[in-house]
Amino acid sequence: MIKIKLGKNEKPILNPEDFYFIQKLLRTMRNPKTKFNSKEFVKKGDDYLFNYVDKNVGGIDEGRRKFLKGLVIGIGVVTVAGIIPGLKVLVPPNVSAVSAFPKSLLVDSSGSPIAASKIPVNSPIITIYEYPLTGEPNFLLNLGDSSGNPVKVPASTVTVPQTGDKYTFPGGVGPNNSIVSYSAICQHLGCKPPYIHFYPPNYVNSAQLSAPEPDTLTAQALAAAKSANVPALIHCDCHGSTYDPYHGAQPLTGPTVRPLPTTVLEWDSSTDYLYALGSIGVAIYPEGANGVPSKDPTADLGSSFGSSVGDKTEVTQPENPFTSS
Amino acid sequence: MSVTKKVSDWFMERLGLNDLPFFKTPDYMYHASEWLGALVAAAFFYTVISGLILLLYYNPDQGYSSTEFIINSVPYGSVVLYSHLYGAYAMIILAYVHMFRNYFVGAYKKPRELLWIIGVLMLVLVLGASFLGYSLIGDVLATSAVDVGAGIISSIPQLTFLLPILFGNYDSGQFGRVLAWHIILVALIGLLFVFHFFMAEHYGMMPSRKVKSKAPAVYTKEEWSKFNPWWPRNFVYMFSLIFLTWGFILAIPNALAYLNGLPQQFNPFLNPKPAPSPSSPLAAHVTTYPPWFFLFVYKIADFTSDVVIFLLIGVIIPLLYLILVPFLDRTEYLHPMKRKVFLGFGILMITYLIQTTIWGDLSPGIPVPITQQIEVYLPPAIITAIGLAFFKYVKIGNNMKKAQMTPLNAILFTVIALLMAGSLIAVLNEPSILTIGIFIPLLILFFGGAKLLTPPIFKADQSAVTPSVSQESVMSLERKKKMAQVIMVILLIFAAILAGTIWTIPATGYVSNMFGVDLGLIFIMLGESISLYHYIVYKKPDEHEE
Ligand code: FES
Repeated sequence: MIKIKLGKNEKPILNPEDFYFIQKLLRTMRNPKTKFNSKEFVKKGDDYLFNYVDKNVGGIDEGRRKFLKGLVIGIGVVTVAGIIPGLKVLVPPNVSAVSAFPKSLLVDSSGSPIAASKIPVNSPIITIYEYPLTGEPNFLLNLGDSSGNPVKVPASTVTVPQTGDKYTFPGGVGPNNSIVSYSAICQHLGCKPPYIHFYPPNYVNSAQLSAPEPDTLTAQALAAAKSANVPALIHCDCHGSTYDPYHGAQPLTGPTVRPLPTTVLEWDSSTDYLYALGSIGVAIYPEGANGVPSKDPTADLGSSFGSSVGDKTEVTQPENPFTSS
Repeated sequence: MSVTKKVSDWFMERLGLNDLPFFKTPDYMYHASEWLGALVAAAFFYTVISGLILLLYYNPDQGYSSTEFIINSVPYGSVVLYSHLYGAYAMIILAYVHMFRNYFVGAYKKPRELLWIIGVLMLVLVLGASFLGYSLIGDVLATSAVDVGAGIISSIPQLTFLLPILFGNYDSGQFGRVLAWHIILVALIGLLFVFHFFMAEHYGMMPSRKVKSKAPAVYTKEEWSKFNPWWPRNFVYMFSLIFLTWGFILAIPNALAYLNGLPQQFNPFLNPKPAPSPSSPLAAHVTTYPPWFFLFVYKIADFTSDVVIFLLIGVIIPLLYLILVPFLDRTEYLHPMKRKVFLGFGILMITYLIQTTIWGDLSPGIPVPITQQIEVYLPPAIITAIGLAFFKYVKIGNNMKKAQMTPLNAILFTVIALLMAGSLIAVLNEPSILTIGIFIPLLILFFGGAKLLTPPIFKADQSAVTPSVSQESVMSLERKKKMAQVIMVILLIFAAILAGTIWTIPATGYVSNMFGVDLGLIFIMLGESISLYHYIVYKKPDEHEE
């Protein structure tokens, strides 16, 4: 503030902004580039002066302009703050660390472990969980006979038709040894649920021959179920591959040339919890020449397929394929 | 001297900002339609930046699975990928708008012929680069689009040599060539952009038609020197547009990612996610269609089995026309109503483009007999021809005293307005190519007519008032500026809240796309606040919008 002293009283005459403004105006008027044209001023009067000031010095006072700039800079800073977490995009995800199958507890959507004794027998609802990597679904089945009682699934020997290799399927787990789990990715061309799913005994009949996708059964599948003497099936609607859930998902009809990989389960009888431990049989993804799969199921742990599900994996029931029919 | 001023002066001196050949801008040109090129450029830069980030992860030997990897595993990978896709979409749409706007205002006339031709070539390159980029996903839609494209090329025996050059070992899942060409085409676009930009700066903006109604439409050095300097006003305005564009490019696709199970007709336009892999049996359940910006070509391929004829009507003739139009249109007038033939062609090009695109979307790959083609394409041509034949060019003078609307024009305009309303109802009731084709030219004529006729009606009585600034308008402008200032404060608060929450969004998984939505909104707020700043600081009371 510029002040004049009059005896004891100080009298303010000009505040700094006004002073700054006048200074700037005078400089502008003297500047040859923006010279103030006094002849025009005489001719046009105030209008000329106002226009001149507005154009060359700016109508907005410095304080307000600073405030506005502050607002814009504020949002600019906020924008940068918003971009920073996005820079995580530059950090490559670390997925190659998976070298072995994790031991994963099966949990429900709220995160609490599911009870093996509560899994319904012969449920037509697709029940799956991701294992060992994200995006790789596995069936969780509690197998029963045609009257709906759980059946003990014994260990058995499974043959891979494509290679002739044999391996031992360990059988069912749980209170009745009736719970089994298989990869839900069809070994023919990779169809996933709902195109491949479990057919409980009451759906393995000729009525299903004319059902719409995804629960048509082929006549060959029906015949194969009869001759193998199994009440229920896993069937893929894409091209009709059929698997026997009671015997390690051994193929019953083509076009598949491989059984579904078995996902090994462990049942803790004291808590009734279920854990996924690993996979046996063939690798989930056929590899190598002519689609012959690796004999080593851990081949599936490659980082290009996904990232590990970790020590928990959620069981979901995405749909009941049969309600539409 | 304030610090910011010092810093800005330092840069201004070092960079010689005021000596750059960037042109100055008259007051009335601060609205988006004069800046469409800047919008295209903004979309271009966004797409280039996001593309370079994707390049860090994309593996051309495993096209589809590396796309899936980027979406599922890379932190915010899906945000970058979807906005890269929509950045390209925005660029295509904005390029069309930019082109047709300049077509209608006659911006291809002397001395801008070369500028125009470079622009058309850039459009071709953009479409090509987008097609290749789309193919890189390697999903069933991309591979079938490549198959269709390859089929078209290989049905002309002389051109089959191009296939391995363009696509390499595409069928066996190797996308190395496609990736390389994608980048090469984008680099070419960048190169042409430099020419296009500096030529545009050299000629300056199209002058207002009130000032110069004839070619050559350029301001003289003398006129030019009186306009607003490039720094800082143009710069501020430009950045508000750039950030707004980026905001929409980020927000829209990431919001769309949450739409599940769209009907098939909407999928080509509104679905940023890839379709299943072609080797998955799920692929059998997907109706194949090309990317939306090639739907029209895809449909024209259904008109005839002769590939040469198809290429002529679908690609070569429209392209030649666009390239040659500066030399075909010899009149010196800029007003579209004084170039009725070219105006008509323009309307028909837009109509046919939209119509054929929607047609290709509704019934992809279904052959069309000649009679049906005529039924679809003739009505718009007749409507446009009749409409243009009857509309008279009305000169809007400065000292007009009363409305100059002739009774005939009034009747005609009423008829067109009624027809337009009727056809809109027809489109809503029964959306088909025919109804849409009738509706679009009527809509354009209606707007053209309304724009021509309104000034005489609404401005006739005001013409007595001298254009000097009234006290009142200064007051109301001040009020508006106060409001704008309040809005800026609110925007800052909202942006800060969003930026706070944005840190908590997980980098992968279902929720991660919210990051894109939020960041997009913050960008929109930034762009809007800069635009408000521009309004408050620079808007003058006597500034009219043209
Ligand atoms: S993919 Fe399952 S039968 Fe072909």
